[in-house]
Amino acid sequence: MKVSHRFEQTSCRFTLEGLPDLSAGQAANVIGILSGWQLALAGHTELEGKREHLFALLEVVLPYARHLVSGVPRRFGAPGHPVQIEPVAENGGRRSHRLRLFSSQPDTPPLELSLDDAELADLVRCLDQLRLDPRVQLGFSLPPERPLPRREILERIPLRQRLFSPVAAATALAITASIGLLVPLPRRATAPSVSPAATPTAPLSPPERTP
Amino acid sequence: MADDLLTKPERLSGISRRGLERLDLMLLSVEALDLNGGEAMLWMAGQLGFADIFPNRVELWKRRCYNPLRLACRRGELSEPETDALISLLCALADRLYPMLRQLLSSAEPATLTAQRWGLFQKRLDELIRERLNPRRGGVQKLLDPVEGPPLRLQLIQGLAFGAGSGGFDRLKASLMDASA
Repeated sequence: MKVSHRFEQTSCRFTLEGLPDLSAGQAANVIGILSGWQLALAGHTELEGKREHLFALLEVVLPYARHLVSGVPRRFGAPGHPVQIEPVAENGGRRSHRLRLFSSQPDTPPLELSLDDAELADLVRCLDQLRLDPRVQLGFSLPPERPLPRREILERIPLRQRLFSPVAAATALAITASIGLLVPLPRRATAPSVSPAATPTAPLSPPERTP
Repeated sequence: MADDLLTKPERLSGISRRGLERLDLMLLSVEALDLNGGEAMLWMAGQLGFADIFPNRVELWKRRCYNPLRLACRRGELSEPETDALISLLCALADRLYPMLRQLLSSAEPATLTAQRWGLFQKRLDELIRERLNPRRGGVQKLLDPVEGPPLRLQLIQGLAFGAGSGGFDRLKASLMDASA
C-alpha cells in the first residue's frame, strides 16, 4: 500500500510518496522505496521529481545553508548538476537565493526560483525534517557538517581589510629601514696596534765599559 | 541527548573565542526578541534536561561570560558538554521564536512593518549590548555602529533561523567551530 508523508513550513510543503521496503523489514508506515515527491513553494510552480532529484536537492541546498550560517554564501551545484543554487545581491543590500532546477527531459529550459531568506529557511527546515524522520529511510548519505577552513572564511573579510595588516607592517619596516640608513654610522675607532712581543732589543746587562 | 552529553568525559569543546562570542551574541539576540528571554532560557534548559549544567541563572550567566566581549569576561574554554548544552538551548529557543525570525527575514511582509520590527529588535539589542558588553572592544563598537551594525544583526538572525529545528544543531555547531580568520 502506498505511503505518503507530508512536511510543512509556512511557505513550503514537501510530500513524499512511496512504499516500505518489506525485504529490509521496514514497518508499514516507512518509505523505503520512493515513487515520487512534490514540493509546493508559496507563489511558485509546484515541483515534482524522482529519488535522484530529491538527493540532488539535498546535496546542494543543505551545504548552501551551512555556508550561509557562516556568512560566506557561495554557489553550489556544478554545471551539469540537476540543481544549482547561488546568492544574488539585490537592491537595498538584501540578498536573495536563485535556485535552478534542470529537467531530465531534453530541450526543457531550467526552472528558476528566487527565494528570500525566509523561504529558504522554510525549505531547509522541511529538508531537515524529512531527512531526519525515522519514517523516511531512503539511505541519504550526506556528509557530516564540518567547520569551514580558514581559506573559505577569509572570503568574508573584504580584500582591503585583509591586506591592511601586511601592508602596514611592510610600510613600517620600510620607514624604519630608511630612517636607519639616514643615521650616519659611527666611525670605527682605529684599533690599537698590537704591542709586539717583548723581545729585548738591547741587552739587559749594561754594556761593558771600556777604559 | 542531554544524558549523552552529561555522561561524556569532560573535554574541551574546540570552539574558538570567536565562536563563543557568536554563540553569546545569538543568545543575546534571543533575549532581544523575547522580553522574557532570560526566564525562557532557564525553563528551556530544564525542559531539555540540562538542569544539572544550568541549575540557575548564575550558572548560565557564568558560561556565557566566556564571550570575550563581555564586561565581566572569563578566561579559559568551555567543556564540550557545556557548549553542546548551550547550542541545544539556542536551537530550541530559535525554534520557538521561528515565526518572529521568519517575519524579520521575509521580503513578502510590508516594508514599513519590517523596518519597524528591525528597529524594535535593534533598540532592544543595543540596550542589552550597552548593559552587558565592553564598549571599548572593537566588536562591540561595530555592532553599535549605524553602518556596520545592520549586516551583523542580519547575520545573527540568519544564524538563528537556519539553526532552528531538527537539523540546526549540527549546522550551528559546525559554524561556531569555523577556523578563525
